[in-house]
Amino acid sequence: MSLKEAYNKNYKLLLIIPLVLLIFSFIYLFQFYQQNDDFIKKDVSLTGGTTITIYLDSYVDLGDLKSFLGDKGIEYSVREITSITTGKQEAIIVESPSSSDELKTILEEYFDFELTPENSSTEFTGASLSNSFYKQLLRAILFAFLLMALIVFIIFRTAVPSLAVILAAFADIVMTLAIIDILGLKISSAGIVAFLMLIGYSVDTDIMLTSKLLRHREGDLSSRMLSSFKTGLTMTLTSLAAVIVALLLTASFSETLRQIFLILTIGLSFDLINTWCSNASILKWYIDKKNKRREE
Amino acid sequence: MKIGWRLWLLGTVLLILVAFMFNLESSTSFLILGIGIGIIFALNSIKSKIGKSLIILLLLASMIFLIYTQVEVGVKIKSVDYNSTAYDAGLRAGQIIISLNGNSISSISDYSSAISQEFPSGENKQLTIQTKDNEFLLYTSQAPEITLEEISITRLKFGLDLQGGSRALIKAENKSLTYEEVEDLIAITENRFNVYGLSDMKIRNVRDLSNQNYMLIEIAGATPAELEELISKQGKFEAKIGNETVFVGGRDITHVERSGQYAGIEGCYASQEGEVCKFRFTISLNEEAAERHADITSKLEISQENPEYLSEKLDLYVDDSLMDSLFISKDLRGRPTTQILISGSGSGSNRREALEDADQSMKRLQTILITGSLPYKLEIVKLDTISPLLGKKFIRTILIAGLASLLAVAFIVLLRYRKIKLPLALLFTSFSEIFIIIGIAAVFNKIWTLDLPAIAGIIAVIGTGVDQQIVVLDESKSGISLSLKERLKRALFIILGSYATTMFAMFPLLAAGAGLLRGFAISTMIGITVGVLITRPAFAEIVKKIVD
Repeated sequence: MSLKEAYNKNYKLLLIIPLVLLIFSFIYLFQFYQQNDDFIKKDVSLTGGTTITIYLDSYVDLGDLKSFLGDKGIEYSVREITSITTGKQEAIIVESPSSSDELKTILEEYFDFELTPENSSTEFTGASLSNSFYKQLLRAILFAFLLMALIVFIIFRTAVPSLAVILAAFADIVMTLAIIDILGLKISSAGIVAFLMLIGYSVDTDIMLTSKLLRHREGDLSSRMLSSFKTGLTMTLTSLAAVIVALLLTASFSETLRQIFLILTIGLSFDLINTWCSNASILKWYIDKKNKRREE
Repeated sequence: MKIGWRLWLLGTVLLILVAFMFNLESSTSFLILGIGIGIIFALNSIKSKIGKSLIILLLLASMIFLIYTQVEVGVKIKSVDYNSTAYDAGLRAGQIIISLNGNSISSISDYSSAISQEFPSGENKQLTIQTKDNEFLLYTSQAPEITLEEISITRLKFGLDLQGGSRALIKAENKSLTYEEVEDLIAITENRFNVYGLSDMKIRNVRDLSNQNYMLIEIAGATPAELEELISKQGKFEAKIGNETVFVGGRDITHVERSGQYAGIEGCYASQEGEVCKFRFTISLNEEAAERHADITSKLEISQENPEYLSEKLDLYVDDSLMDSLFISKDLRGRPTTQILISGSGSGSNRREALEDADQSMKRLQTILITGSLPYKLEIVKLDTISPLLGKKFIRTILIAGLASLLAVAFIVLLRYRKIKLPLALLFTSFSEIFIIIGIAAVFNKIWTLDLPAIAGIIAVIGTGVDQQIVVLDESKSGISLSLKERLKRALFIILGSYATTMFAMFPLLAAGAGLLRGFAISTMIGITVGVLITRPAFAEIVKKIVD
C-alpha cells in the first residue's frame, strides 16, 4: 500500500492527534485557571509594578542578588542580558510589583551606586492602568479573532471549510497558551501581541489550503492536496526558520522580542499539526462527502 | 530584458524613498532619483549597444557622485535654555554647530572635549561657535546651556524604547477626563514645560478602548525625576507685593475670564521700536485673598514716577520664578477687591506682530493662573525611562537578527527549489519591502516613530510576505495547463484573502492600551499594503521572467 493510499484511507485518524492535544490543553488551562484565576501568568507590565534594567561594567552574581532581594522581603524576579557575540553579562533585569522608588532604593543599596537614566532603564506601570491595559488587549485579540473569522466566511462562503480554518487558528492559540503556562512563562503586553501575529500566520496557510482544495478544479483531490502540502510546509518552515533564528539572536538581548519569537515558534509548530492533521482532514472529509452525494 | 510596469513601480518607489530617507540636500536626492531611473531605463534596452554604454556611463556617474557626496557634519542643537547666555547670543534649537573656537566638531564627544578644554577653571572666556550658516560669540564662564544631538544619516526617528528618554502616561486621580479637559491639560503642561526650557517633547491626547482619556508625554532628554517633579508641582502660582503673598493660584482664584468683554486686547499704539498692544482680563479672588490684598496695599504709597499706580508692583511667580510684574492702580489701595483686572502688553516691529505677542502673553498668563487651579490631582499611571546606552547596540542586534532570519528563509527556499535565482529574487523582494516600510516611516517621521512594537510589526510583515511569495512561486511552477497569468491570478486571490484577515485583525490594536502598541498595528498595516500593491506584483513578474 503506497503512502498515498494509506493517507486516503486513514486520514480521519490523523484528526485524533490535534483532538488529543486540544483536549489536553483545555484540561490543563482549566486547571490553571482554577489555581491562578486567569489563563496566563502576567508580568508586571500587565499586573502593575516596576522593571529596572541595570547596565553593568562588572559581573554580578544573580544568586547573590536574589538572596539580597529575598532578605528585603519583596516579591521579585531577576534575569540577565548577555551579549550575543561574547556571551558576557551586559545587564540585569529586576521586576517587582513594588513602586519604582522603592525598588530603586533597594537596588542602589545593593549595587552601591546611584541608578541614573544613563546606567539604567526604569519602567513603571500603575496597577489600575495595567489592569485595563490587559482587559483591552484581550478584547483586541477577541475582536481580531472575530473579524478574521468573518473575513474567512466572506471569502469561502461555506460553513464547514470556514469553520475548519477558524478552528485551526483557535487550536493554535489554545495549545500555545497551554505550553506557555507549562513553561511557567510570564506574559507581557508584547506576548499578547505575539498571539495576534500568530493568528495571521496561522490563517495564511489555511487560506492557501482551502483555496486550492475548494476553488481549483484541475487534477484530483490528492494531487491538489499534495501540492498545497508542499507549499504550506515551505511557508511554515520558512517562518519557523526565521523566528527560531531571530529568537536565538535576540533572546539574550530583549525580553520583548524573546517573548514574541518564543510564542511564534511554539505557535507555528502547532500550526503544522493543526493545518495538516486537522484542517486538511476536515476539508478532505467534507469534499469527499460532497462528491459522494453528487454521485448518488 | 523588458521591464514591466510592476518592476517599474517597485524601482521608482524604492528610489524615491532612498532619496528621501537619507538626510541629504534636495538636489542630491533628485540626482539619485535621476540616476536610478536612468539605470532602469537602460536595463530596459540592455540588449542594444546604446543601452549597454548608457549603463556603464550611469554607473560611472553614480560612483563619482558617491565619492563627492558630502554628508552633513557637526552636531545639532536640540534645545537651548530660555534666558541663558547661549539663548541671548542667538543660539537656537535646530542649528548645526560645526566648530568651537576653531576646533571642528563632528560628534557630541568632540564638543564635550572642546568645552572641557575651554573651561578648566571658572573664569570668563570668549567662545566662538560656528554654525552651518552663522557665527555666534559668547562671553561666559561656563559651558553654554544647550543640549545637543548627533546628526543622523537617515531621517528615521526611533521610539523612546530604542533611543532613550522618558515617557509618562497621566490621568486625573479618581476622575475620568473628557477629551476637552485633556486638551486643556496639555496646553497647560506645554506652557509649563516651555517655562522650564524643555522643548524636545511630544504631548498627546490618547484614548483607549474603554474611552479613558490620558495625556501622554514623551521627552527624549529629561530625567524621570524632572518629569515627576513637573507633574507633581502642578504649577505653584503666587502673586506677591514685595515679600508678602497676596494670593496663590488655585486656592485663592475662583475664576479667570478667558473671553468676552472682560478679556481681550484693549488697543495698540506706536512706540519707538514699533508697535505695542495692551491686553487685559479679570480674575476673581475669594474674600480671604481680597482682604489680604486690601491689607497689603494700604501700606503702600503712590509711585513718584507713575502717579497713576502704587509704588510697588504685583509680582507673579510660577514655581518660584518671576513671570510678570503688574502695576497696581492707585484706586485699589486698601480696598478689599474680589475682581482684579490684570493687564499687560505685547510688542513687535509691526501691528500684527504686536497683536500676536500680546495675545500669546495674555494666554500664557491666563494659563498660569488656571494652572494653579486644576480642579483635579494628577496621577502618573505609567512612567518609563529608557537609557540611551543600549539603543544603538539594540538597533544593530535587530538588524543582524533580521538579516540572519532572511538568510535562513532563503536557505530553505534554496533547498526546496534547487535554483539559486529564486531565493535571490525572494531576498531582493523582502529587502525592498523592509526598505519601503522604513522609508515610509522616514517620510512620516513627525507622526510615526519606529519603536519596538513597530519593529515587531515589520518582522511579522516580512514573515507573511515570504509566505505569500512562496504561494506565488508554487502557483507559477505548478504543472497545470493554465496560462501563467491565470495561475498568478490564483495566487493573488490567496494573498488578498490573507491580506484582508490581517488588515482587519489589526484594527482593534490601534486603540487598545492607550495606543502604546499602535506602532505594531500601523507598521503591519502599512507593510502588508505595500506588499499587496507593490512588492508582490513585482515578485510575480520576476518569477515569470525566471520561469519563462
